Amino acid sequence: MVAFILRRLGVLGVILMGSSFILYNLAAISADPLADLRLSTDPDRDAKILALTRELQLDVIPPLRYFLWLRGVLGIFIGQPDFGTGRDGLAVLDSLALAIPVTLRLVAAATLLAAILGIMIGIVTALRQYSRFDYSMTFIAFLLFSLPVFWVAVLLKEYLAISFNDFLREPNIPFNWIIGIGLASGLFWASVIGGSRKTFWTTYVVAFVASSSLVAVLGMTGWLLDPSLGPIVVLVLSIGIAFGVTQISVGLGNRKALGASLTIAGLSVVAFYPANWVFDNYASALNIFLMVCALITTSVFIGLAFSKIDRAPIVRTTIITGVLSANLVLIDKFMQTWKPYMQTDAINYRPVPTVGERNDLLNSPDFWISNLDVITHLFLPTMALTLIGFAGYIRFARGTLLEVLNQDYIRTARAKGLSERTVIMRHAFRNTMIPMATILVADFAGVIGGAFITESVFAWSGMGTLGLQAIRGQDLNLLMGVFFVTATMAVLANFVADLLYSALDPRIRVGSGA
Amino acid sequence: MARKSKASVESTEVLSGENAIQNKEIEGLSQGQIVRKRFFRHRAAVVSLFTITSIVLIAFTAFDWKIFGAIKVPGWWKWTPEDLPELRYGDCPNDTVGCPTISLLPKFLGGQGIGLGNHPFGQDDIGRDYFALVMRGTQRSLSVMVVIGSIAATLGVVVGSIAGFYRGRVDAILMRFVDFMITIPVIIIGSVVGYRYGNLGAVFLAVLLGLFAWTGLSRLVRGEFLSLREREFVDAARVAGATNKRIIFKHILPNAIGVIIVSVTLLLSGAILLETALSYIGFGVVPPDVSLGLLISQYQDSFTTRPWLFWYPGFFIISIALSINFIGDGLRDAFDPRQRRRISKKERQDSATARKLAQAND
Amino acid sequence: MKFTRSAKFALAAAASAALAVSLLTPAQAATRSTVVIHHTNVQTGLNCGLSTTNSTVCTDQAALTGMGFNYYNDKKELIKNTTFGSYKVIKNSKTDFRVQYTVAPGRVWSDGTPITGVDLLLSHILGSDTYSIEAGLGDPASKTTKPAFNGQGYGSTYHKNIVGEPVLSSDEMSVTLRWKSPIANWDLYGPGPAPVHAMVLLAEGKDGLQSASANLAAKDRFLAAYKSKDTALLKKIGKVWSEDYTITTINSSTNPLLLISNGGFIVESAVPKTSMTLVVNPKYNSGPKMTGSIDKIVFKVITDGTAAVQALSNGELDVYSGQATADAVAALKKITSVNITGGEQAVYEHWDLHYDSVEGETPYTGVFSKNGGAKAKALRQAFLLGIPRDEIMEKIIAPINGITKPLCTSWVAPGTSAYDKICAVNGSAFYTRGTQESRNKTALALVQKFYPDALKNPIKINVLVPGGNARRAAQFALAKANLAKVGFELVGDVQSGWGALLGSGKYDAFFFAWVSSSVTQKQSCSVLETTGGSNYVMGYSNSTVDKVCTELDVAMKPDLLVQKYITADRALFADAVTLPVFTHPGVTAINKDLKGLKPAPLSPQLTWNYWEWSY
Repeated sequence: MVAFILRRLGVLGVILMGSSFILYNLAAISADPLADLRLSTDPDRDAKILALTRELQLDVIPPLRYFLWLRGVLGIFIGQPDFGTGRDGLAVLDSLALAIPVTLRLVAAATLLAAILGIMIGIVTALRQYSRFDYSMTFIAFLLFSLPVFWVAVLLKEYLAISFNDFLREPNIPFNWIIGIGLASGLFWASVIGGSRKTFWTTYVVAFVASSSLVAVLGMTGWLLDPSLGPIVVLVLSIGIAFGVTQISVGLGNRKALGASLTIAGLSVVAFYPANWVFDNYASALNIFLMVCALITTSVFIGLAFSKIDRAPIVRTTIITGVLSANLVLIDKFMQTWKPYMQTDAINYRPVPTVGERNDLLNSPDFWISNLDVITHLFLPTMALTLIGFAGYIRFARGTLLEVLNQDYIRTARAKGLSERTVIMRHAFRNTMIPMATILVADFAGVIGGAFITESVFAWSGMGTLGLQAIRGQDLNLLMGVFFVTATMAVLANFVADLLYSALDPRIRVGSGA
Repeated sequence: MARKSKASVESTEVLSGENAIQNKEIEGLSQGQIVRKRFFRHRAAVVSLFTITSIVLIAFTAFDWKIFGAIKVPGWWKWTPEDLPELRYGDCPNDTVGCPTISLLPKFLGGQGIGLGNHPFGQDDIGRDYFALVMRGTQRSLSVMVVIGSIAATLGVVVGSIAGFYRGRVDAILMRFVDFMITIPVIIIGSVVGYRYGNLGAVFLAVLLGLFAWTGLSRLVRGEFLSLREREFVDAARVAGATNKRIIFKHILPNAIGVIIVSVTLLLSGAILLETALSYIGFGVVPPDVSLGLLISQYQDSFTTRPWLFWYPGFFIISIALSINFIGDGLRDAFDPRQRRRISKKERQDSATARKLAQAND
Repeated sequence: MKFTRSAKFALAAAASAALAVSLLTPAQAATRSTVVIHHTNVQTGLNCGLSTTNSTVCTDQAALTGMGFNYYNDKKELIKNTTFGSYKVIKNSKTDFRVQYTVAPGRVWSDGTPITGVDLLLSHILGSDTYSIEAGLGDPASKTTKPAFNGQGYGSTYHKNIVGEPVLSSDEMSVTLRWKSPIANWDLYGPGPAPVHAMVLLAEGKDGLQSASANLAAKDRFLAAYKSKDTALLKKIGKVWSEDYTITTINSSTNPLLLISNGGFIVESAVPKTSMTLVVNPKYNSGPKMTGSIDKIVFKVITDGTAAVQALSNGELDVYSGQATADAVAALKKITSVNITGGEQAVYEHWDLHYDSVEGETPYTGVFSKNGGAKAKALRQAFLLGIPRDEIMEKIIAPINGITKPLCTSWVAPGTSAYDKICAVNGSAFYTRGTQESRNKTALALVQKFYPDALKNPIKINVLVPGGNARRAAQFALAKANLAKVGFELVGDVQSGWGALLGSGKYDAFFFAWVSSSVTQKQSCSVLETTGGSNYVMGYSNSTVDKVCTELDVAMKPDLLVQKYITADRALFADAVTLPVFTHPGVTAINKDLKGLKPAPLSPQLTWNYWEWSY
């Protein structure tokens, strides 16, 4: 196996070398770094051309210049890689080091979110194949998939940022909006839950009344300007989470799991005030991490305490419930920060930004305010990427699950009397995840390449922006730097996907003959 | 189809609810008839097929056509993208110029009556008819889509199935070649070609992009083949003495067709978006040529001022992409022997047992 | 699913009960003291003198952090900064022209160190090839090795005209430069201050601010090294200058020595490719007194035009500037909180007709060739007459900045009195007289003299169309439509890499633009001069123009200058080889509450009068 992996890696190295050689030459002959200067009327033009020619070694023909570049890159093996200098004077290596975390923050979050949402909706649509929900989700998925991202960005900015910020100046929710939101939410829930005509309309009316009154109350109380959940809502939601998670994970029939979940949910609420005290006085990433550790440890103990046999699923259920309900407390803290955040000079009651990674004017030492700033800046780009990205996952998840549900082993599982939940979650879902996993791996490789257009329209300086800057500015070194990272990630990810596929699906043998 | 090899399994099911209805329905029909029948039952797919056919017809007959360079077929639309009619001033909202003349509100409702007017989609900055531009853009975008899609689909399916079926050395070599192609980013190729050979036109660009866009599909098809070739019905076929060709075309490919069609339709709508993205960066279709992607990226600023310049091309992009996807959806359902269609209410009532079983089964 | 529904119920009930009914007072606008300026280019560091860092954003930011002897205002006038110091001509003969620059006493750097004449000497190291070679810092003209100060000031006008080395006065407050002759625009080539003490300290590895006496000692060490051409120390300083100032990540851990400057603002922080923040310099006394109320300026990078417009309308930007589209301008106009100034950039769009073969290109033998004599000239005139310049202005330019009159000369910018004077008599009237219709008639008559059936059998004209530019595509479409009326059929060849194809014999006509980056008196010569003119793509040669360009090397009075321009223009228009159309429209949108910001055509375009800004 080790020999196989090493051999594959060696081949990948050769492939990278070949493609970088081709790309370098293609890019070198197609770009003219001196184009701007040639058209300049600067009296010192010739001196500048000379300086730039020297700087970029333009007097060496591209095939040979490639090897100069390669020599620098191969420095990776002695720990001193040199990718050259970009046209902006920055070492390409530094540019990459700055861009990769930014891209990871933006695109990775969006990809993960798109995958989770997409798979969830995909599963529901598969289970309710040819229902109204299936049709409408299919329509929405295809619609979103067909939208160019810069278009989505323009619309999101116009409505969710500019108009919403204007609206926040005097946040009175108009009556027709209340009704509209109610209608939409009614339709959504009724479609998800489905069932007979009677159930459909009951759900519809209940959801409509609930949502419209919720929106109306939120509007009247000025909740949008000073939101919070408060311990009571956290409690109610936590109990809901405990029931929901238990149902999906092991079934409500498992009283021990339900008890453990309810206990940890209750504990999360009990910890509401102490946690807030820590948040107010000792806020830092480390402390929050420690709190999460404590939470998980507690969950494990509670899970163990409640169970005698078959412990793993119960502990798992408890941990999930614990993390989700503790999240409510965290969300509540961020909601409380909303008002002071809006009151800062830098924000000035326009909290949803359209560009950038953070507000340059906001110089707050407050942990929560600065992190809320990061979150608000993530909001629109993440949303744009998620909206566009999750359509593919919906389709794949739906298709795969339908395929799996028709397999003989599912029929067997049903035949031996397993509950529908067990069949879906234990047998079908897990097998659905095999192809999904490989798709995810490949997608994450693409993530490192960044989102060329999204990053550019939201003014994030990640890999995509860097790539675009390289192409537009005819910056060969930078282009090759970006290429090197994305290409390496792409081939590695495909390699990992292959290994993963053979590891997850025992029927497949990979690399036997290679 | 796999149906044959799985006949024994299915025969035990003939008695059970839904399958009973369905099997009865397709008795005595050929494969093609079954597929057609199933496809035309997918309402969204049929509507989409109609939509895309209309778009293609409207767009490609809008201007003069020359058949074999000699016979001239006159286009039905009065303007061409090259015409420069008078720019409409004065009576447009918000001091804009060249607003659309299309009117859908009848006179008795206070509108100006239903009619297209001189420039139904308005005019661009210098007065060119925007409907003509959108039609030319649709032509370009459709050609780009078809070219990228067909090249990528052919290459992807061929390479993927060969690699997946023969495995071993063939697979290794082909997959390393795929790795090689994957490392070269399409967007960079697009920009290099766009910079050097921008004047060679949209179709050339599409061919080139097609040569680079097949890798994902090939990996997917290969995965399917790797998995399917280990299945019992393939073993059965092989034991029965079927040739490789027969196994590939009669047993594996029909079973993989669902995945292939979904991917190809995603690829097709992906192609139209790739063209849009490249045009946005400035390396796709270059002015004065027109494509839908170019039009919306050119007029994204006009969203709040002259929204028609932004919405009309966008509407066509979405209509095309949506239709393609729904047609793909319909095709997949039609081809896949294992997919069950929805049973209508009447059919359900016809068979009470069917209903019970269906609920237990679904 | 049941639970989700009941949860929703409970949520609604609980929310209404739990939420405190606290109605907030409407949002109040805080008094701002910050300005966020949009830029499309990324920041490139603190030193704009390197070939890699030269950019508009760098000069905008450098204007905030550095003040010298003069600056350009928004009317392209060079204003003397008398607060910082003065300069006067002390000897004015044909072969010996000397200027003395004196720093006013009491001026200080942001660390409190006094500014003296010593700080002006670095300019010489950066500009003189001779000094660089003599001090062992490397030959800047070498193709293989970089000089120690790896800047782009070498080989330039300064080096070609300076005589000897600048002379420092005994009180170390003045520096005298000697030029070969009274060169034109000599005031642009004068020295600027540089914090040499900081560079010495940086070269010596110090990583924090030093005491006043240590700073003065460092300055003395620089002077000694400069005088004795101490290669070792100067090389170290050169390394600092070339490499250390290129930082784009700036925060509290950045070496404060790098940030020492004498402008009204100092750099506080910078995030690469994203933003740069400057705060007010409390020790600032090198320029006009700060009368405004701004204490923080942020440069924010947004490359996408639409994104920038939306950011402005969302209040994330105070100043937007760029080459906008008509729709972007319309969108900006809808934003009630900003003022819009339509401006012009110093970028001149023009049509050129091929005149003769260009060296190194395929030979030109088309209809416009000079070998065609009177016939070719008539065709050239007809072609230029047929370019619908009014229509181009009205449809493409006016929606952006409201300017409807096409350009009539490219020597000086429109809107000045010199411009009007030149246009009245330079021969451009031939192309502006009457209406386009009457001009079409004239053109058609010219064409039909040689091609009577030109309307039926139009003359094919190959035009190089720059690709990927919607505005040029529109311009070409308009030209094509109108020229068809006077007997020409334009065949466009769209090329993205058009820059390299200029001058190719394949084409009869070209249209593109060139950028004017300075206001020296012979600026347009680099285009129009027929021997050595850089953009000269039509193989045109005219001894009158060349003669004018030689004369422009010497400084001359404005009236005489205008006469020279008229002479050159007349020659150009008489031969009908080139016709300017418009200057590229620029747009600046500024937060209505921000007072005093006046965009200028020359760089630094936005920040030249930061001391007057206020809310």
